[in-house]
Amino acid sequence: MKITLLMICAACAWAQSRIEVPTLGAVVDSSGGLRPVQGVAGNFLLGPATVPGVLSAACSDQLCLAKTNSKILSPTGETDAPPGPALFSVQARDALVFFPETRMFARWHDDVLDPLDWPVESEVLSVHGGGADADIAVRRDANVWIVHPDGSVVDWIANTAGPVLLLGEGVLFATTDQVILRRSDASEVRFDLPGAESIAAMGPHYAAIRAGGATYALRTESGRESLLLLPMSLEAGGIP
Amino acid sequence: MKRALLLALLLPLAARAQLALYQMNGSTEVPIGAALNLGKVAAGDTVSVRIRVRNTGASTANIVGYSASGAGFSLDRPSLPFPIAPGSAQDALLNFRATTPATYSANLQVSTAASSVSTIAIATVVIGPELTVFPVCTGSDGPPASIDFGRVQTGQLRLCNFYLRNPSAQEMTIATFQVTGPGFQFSTGPKAPFKLAAGDTTAFVINFMSNTAGIFSGTLAIETRTYALTSTVFDAPLPKPLLEFDAGPVQSAQQRSLIMRLPTAASSSASGFVNLAFLPDSTLIPDDPAIVFLATGTRTLPFAITQGSTAIAINNQASATFQTGTSAGRIRFTVSGITTDGDPTTLLTVPAAAISLDTATATRRTGNLDIALIGFDNTYSAGGMTFTFLDGSGQTLPPGAIRADFTADFRTFFTKTQAGSTFQVRISFPVTGDTSGIGSVDVQLTNSAGSKQQHLVFQ
Repeated sequence: MKITLLMICAACAWAQSRIEVPTLGAVVDSSGGLRPVQGVAGNFLLGPATVPGVLSAACSDQLCLAKTNSKILSPTGETDAPPGPALFSVQARDALVFFPETRMFARWHDDVLDPLDWPVESEVLSVHGGGADADIAVRRDANVWIVHPDGSVVDWIANTAGPVLLLGEGVLFATTDQVILRRSDASEVRFDLPGAESIAAMGPHYAAIRAGGATYALRTESGRESLLLLPMSLEAGGIP
Repeated sequence: MKRALLLALLLPLAARAQLALYQMNGSTEVPIGAALNLGKVAAGDTVSVRIRVRNTGASTANIVGYSASGAGFSLDRPSLPFPIAPGSAQDALLNFRATTPATYSANLQVSTAASSVSTIAIATVVIGPELTVFPVCTGSDGPPASIDFGRVQTGQLRLCNFYLRNPSAQEMTIATFQVTGPGFQFSTGPKAPFKLAAGDTTAFVINFMSNTAGIFSGTLAIETRTYALTSTVFDAPLPKPLLEFDAGPVQSAQQRSLIMRLPTAASSSASGFVNLAFLPDSTLIPDDPAIVFLATGTRTLPFAITQGSTAIAINNQASATFQTGTSAGRIRFTVSGITTDGDPTTLLTVPAAAISLDTATATRRTGNLDIALIGFDNTYSAGGMTFTFLDGSGQTLPPGAIRADFTADFRTFFTKTQAGSTFQVRISFPVTGDTSGIGSVDVQLTNSAGSKQQHLVFQ
């Protein structure tokens, strides 16, 4: 057996350690400020607004994108974009974007926006993925359908007309009284939460859910699902 | 010549007409004629009336004389001389007091160098009934005569006991005997008119009650004398609110619910604030900013109590959710804005605990083994770590446990960030050779409360 050689001195490890405050993602407050969410589950801290005039935002574990009225902002720059909010699916350092006002799909990478000619009809609620097999949640006849960019139906979510957030490992959606995390294997975790108004990707393992004047953080990691409250900031006017 | 003489004759009349005397009834001027009758005055009492002198002429009236000449009468007025501009007025207080029953009079006169105006002030001193008030109420002969019912709790009855005595040698008829004012009323006693024989006494009771807090006033009129009645009404102190929490042991990184209630129904509606503060065990930090009420992200929430209810609505909700933070110590809940029957301050102790890991991963990179840890150390004493690498079959790889001490790094980090004790640390182990044989690592994290063991499989 070939012996692994470890540089096994404490000093080496020490020299290469780095301690930071953990960041879980970001949310947009009601004044349009993009605010980092720090801490751990059950102990959230909202950082100060880093970017003003934000309409939408989403984060992966490597990247946060924010949409202002005319730009997509990233840590490395900004990109001209159609007006209004955006639906994001951020995967590592790329993103699939949908602009509801112009009904345009696009792929974002390296501060470049490439339009996609996807003829998806109906109201788009959420997007996920990036290629031809991307998932798109649409509202049709007061139901939610999941389709591919070519319009082919992938799935149907019963008992909801949204809001919906497509996740890599499933889908998160709201009914009248509950928020349901449905895994790809059809298993479900349900949380009692009446009146969910919106669901957004807060970070790689959290979704931000607005309901009844409060904003909740739902942890989506398998086996660690939990629904927690985010601290509202009066100064910032709360979180939309 | 004839015309000039006529004007000269008219001058004194015009000057006399320049001053006018009034008795003030509140803000109303009542012209005083040839006499000003102050009416009956109880022996030993002082009666005061406000007198107004108005300059009705077109030129300034320089007042050089202003007096009330007569036994028992006095005048509170500005020092002489003083001017009164055309159309303006000057008030003074005419007082009378005497102890011997009789009719008294005085010449009240106001004069300038050219003219004067006068009237006769009359007062009749009579022997009035003597009033005695018993505790808890208190009385004062004044002036003005007054009776204080004291501080009274809302909804509670305050009784004042009185004796009324005829101190004279003759029978006395009490024609005026009445109470006015919100909340004040006779409880027991004679009805006017009634007679009091010489030296005789009658008892009566006045009660007072109000369902609202505030300062209340009324009057008790007995013949010649009117007593001001006063009382201050306050809301009853609420029973000490109970601050309760949802079930389960308190730990760091929890979102807990606070419920407030009263042990008995509130006697009145009230509102106030519930506040939290944090007293950390560690001297490394002054506070933990994550310990807040989540509804507002602040440490104070309003609450409301409804009369007749034991429930307390916090920020219009049945409960308030707060975070326990990531620091050992005590969360102190206090109540402000209301008066309570006891101090409702409640302490919630967050005990020191071993390091808690929220996320832990182990990954391989070319030339490095990375261990990423996200968690918190509520003792702020983290630093000691031990890493034991294992092969695919779980056998410890040489050299065995690798110990490292990051205490100084953590201490610097905690002190600098002041964001609680949450941390994210990535520890890289430079390696050479084939790392495929390294299957997992046992990580042991130590703080002052104990050790945390975590087994991580390399991805």
